[in-house]
Amino acid sequence: MIRTQISLSEQEYEAAKLEAERLGISLAELLRRSLRNMVPPGGEPPWMRFAAMLSSGNPHSSQQIDDVVYGRKD
Amino acid sequence: MAARTEAYVDTAALIAFADGSDSHHALFRRLFAQPPPLITTTLVVAEGHGWFLRRFDPARALQFLAMVEAMRPLRVAAVGLREQKAATLLLRRFADQALTLADAVGLHLMTARRVTSCWSTDRHMGLTGVPLVIHQH
Repeated sequence: MIRTQISLSEQEYEAAKLEAERLGISLAELLRRSLRNMVPPGGEPPWMRFAAMLSSGNPHSSQQIDDVVYGRKD
Repeated sequence: MAARTEAYVDTAALIAFADGSDSHHALFRRLFAQPPPLITTTLVVAEGHGWFLRRFDPARALQFLAMVEAMRPLRVAAVGLREQKAATLLLRRFADQALTLADAVGLHLMTARRVTSCWSTDRHMGLTGVPLVIHQH
């Protein structure tokens, strides 16, 4: 583990502390989790965090885009 | 090693990547993990945003835009009157197909830039002969 120092505004610090309390974790752990979300481990590029960002339940969703965006023909 | 050639990214590729339920998700997850230079258009981004907005909500639609912003190898080409005119010619040529303007601009762009791979699950995107990546893998 590498120790480092960061500076936060009072507002950022209070918001982060509140969120850490809500999740039942330390402020340091909250910051580590936030960082992992921005910079995924394992050398994956940052956009890979959006892979499977949702699950529509439809295995054909990418083939039915026009129905959703433009509406299905009657 | 030869330079990797540019691939065109259609809305379907972005949705298949973002939607873990899609049957092509695993393929696009693999492709986007180590992508070649990619190109798409503002119409594709608008279509993708519209899909998230209508299928889910404004927050998810904004997440989609953040995803596009984060994809550094992806160049988003602007669409102007010139591209619209070229796409209109294609729409007339393929008047028997349910092609959208976004599709037609993509087909035009692939021809104009000599793109040799189309990332899509939509068979319409193969109309001008550019192979769909789902048939190559």
